[in-house]
Amino acid sequence: MSFIDILRAEFKLEYNDVFRRKSVLVMLVLYPYIFTLFTLFIGYAGGSPEYFTMRVKVEPVVYLITASYMLMSIFASIDVLLWRPLYDERNGTLIYIIASPVSRLKYYMALPFPRFTELLLLGSTSILPVYTYYYGLDGLLLGILVMLLISIGCVVMIPFAIVIVGLSHRIGESWRVLNIVRPLIMVVMGIYYPRVYMPLAGYIIGGLIPSSHIVEVVQGLLMGFHSNYFMLLVLAFTLFTIYLPLGSWSIGLWEKKKVREGVKTS
Amino acid sequence: MTHAVEVEGLVKTYRVRSRRGFFKYSVELIEAVKGISFTVDYGSVVCLLGPNGAGKTTTIKILATLLLPDSGTARVAGYDVVKEAGKVRENIGLMLTVEKGFYGKLTGRENLEYFAALYGIPRREAERRIDYLIKLLELDKLGADRKLYEEFSLGMKARLSLARALLKDAPILLLDEPTLGLDPPSARRIRELVRDIAHKEGKAIIYTTHNMFEAELVCDRILLINKGVIVAEGTVDELKDKIPKLKVINITLKSGRNPAEVIGEYPFKKEVGVEENNTFRVKLYVQKPEEVLGEVLKKLVNSGGEVVDVKIEEPTLEDVFIYFSEGSV
Repeated sequence: MSFIDILRAEFKLEYNDVFRRKSVLVMLVLYPYIFTLFTLFIGYAGGSPEYFTMRVKVEPVVYLITASYMLMSIFASIDVLLWRPLYDERNGTLIYIIASPVSRLKYYMALPFPRFTELLLLGSTSILPVYTYYYGLDGLLLGILVMLLISIGCVVMIPFAIVIVGLSHRIGESWRVLNIVRPLIMVVMGIYYPRVYMPLAGYIIGGLIPSSHIVEVVQGLLMGFHSNYFMLLVLAFTLFTIYLPLGSWSIGLWEKKKVREGVKTS
Repeated sequence: MTHAVEVEGLVKTYRVRSRRGFFKYSVELIEAVKGISFTVDYGSVVCLLGPNGAGKTTTIKILATLLLPDSGTARVAGYDVVKEAGKVRENIGLMLTVEKGFYGKLTGRENLEYFAALYGIPRREAERRIDYLIKLLELDKLGADRKLYEEFSLGMKARLSLARALLKDAPILLLDEPTLGLDPPSARRIRELVRDIAHKEGKAIIYTTHNMFEAELVCDRILLINKGVIVAEGTVDELKDKIPKLKVINITLKSGRNPAEVIGEYPFKKEVGVEENNTFRVKLYVQKPEEVLGEVLKKLVNSGGEVVDVKIEEPTLEDVFIYFSEGSV
């Protein structure tokens, strides 16, 4: 079975799910704005936009909508992976997936793509208008570049998420584990609080997450860091390659455990 | 000729943990399958017939590579279910639950397309196969190919589930209680299809049920399973012949003393059921009804009972099952 066929099936599943569930569609479009408004409200309550611009060297609206968009794209994509085994178990589809001859790595690699393409498309309703408003045509081009970088950030994150899926679902009540692991990843990835400002330990731990390097590139472009962007991209892809076999191993471990205990039918 | 399915000395024990304190757990061992052996040939339907908790679903799960056995071997289409699970998965069609197992926001057709992709069926071939199955299972007449799965009735869900099991045209089908909870027309349609598929297409089908009537209608061979052990196997007629020349006397009587007390001293197997309006149904399993019937009726009448009906019947499959599961009649 080809990766393309699995991808096509997943696209159909995801897009039908979103378009036949209007509330999800509306939330997807509004989420970056809601998040930005919320964080701006908190920020303005404690300081001024001028002070933010002076310290961070970028407009707060631009910074926060980019951060929200990055967070949403990367996490919504990997959330598909993290929660999918539980969703399939509840649906009763997990047994049929485990009993199918599909290549597990191909299957899990394909899962997040439909969601992150949705989110990329939605970038045109969130970051592109804002960038164009603040920076004109240059802003539009910068917005497209940021969207491209975020899409790379989503892809390189997939094998890492597969490793987390396999390990966390080996533990009973894995949703509790995910609820702890997920925010931790969110923090050390440095989306809202850039890694360069973190203590060394946080910087190193964050560096093990492939997307964190892409986040650093985007922040560098916005805030004018003088990082070696090429090296950061190489680092992200190197981690992607390292996590790929680990992901396969991790899913194998989880499936073995499932089969040893018996995959539940109801 | 090799068998489609060969099972030899299969054993599975579940370890069930129960919390006994903040850190304490107790472990209970439940022996679900205790060394069963059987074979299934292509072109036949074999029933695993037994009550709830007999070990039917455990056996099906092991054969479907969804559960590891503790010991024993099982080969499906010639492949070992433990060592060659991938090959086994390519050769089985599976139906484990009727009431769920699909995505709610997809139509019946879209769900089948999704699973066809997971099974690695090329797109054009999948489309042809799905069209064929939708017609075969009359899903088009029910509108199930266009409706969202979340709007399906149980009967439609069962048909779609069978369609998925048939999707990759696998030589072996494992069907776990496929008619459970279905309305009579849907159950009947599924039973007819299962027989046809086995006999006309030469597939090997393992069909679990606890419904004697269904087993008698659908299966070419029956494995009676109880408490993890196969207690008897054969065709329906062979199984009936295994009960040593027994016939069943059915007596219906009104009022009087409880018949269980009145005829309690007789050595033969008896069952007494109580219905409304003080009506009792008595079943006696005897070799020569004519020798005991007069005496039993006399006793029942003398105890104040009014005999409404008396029938002498050949044993049913249910009687066979009771005979084998409880040791003797």
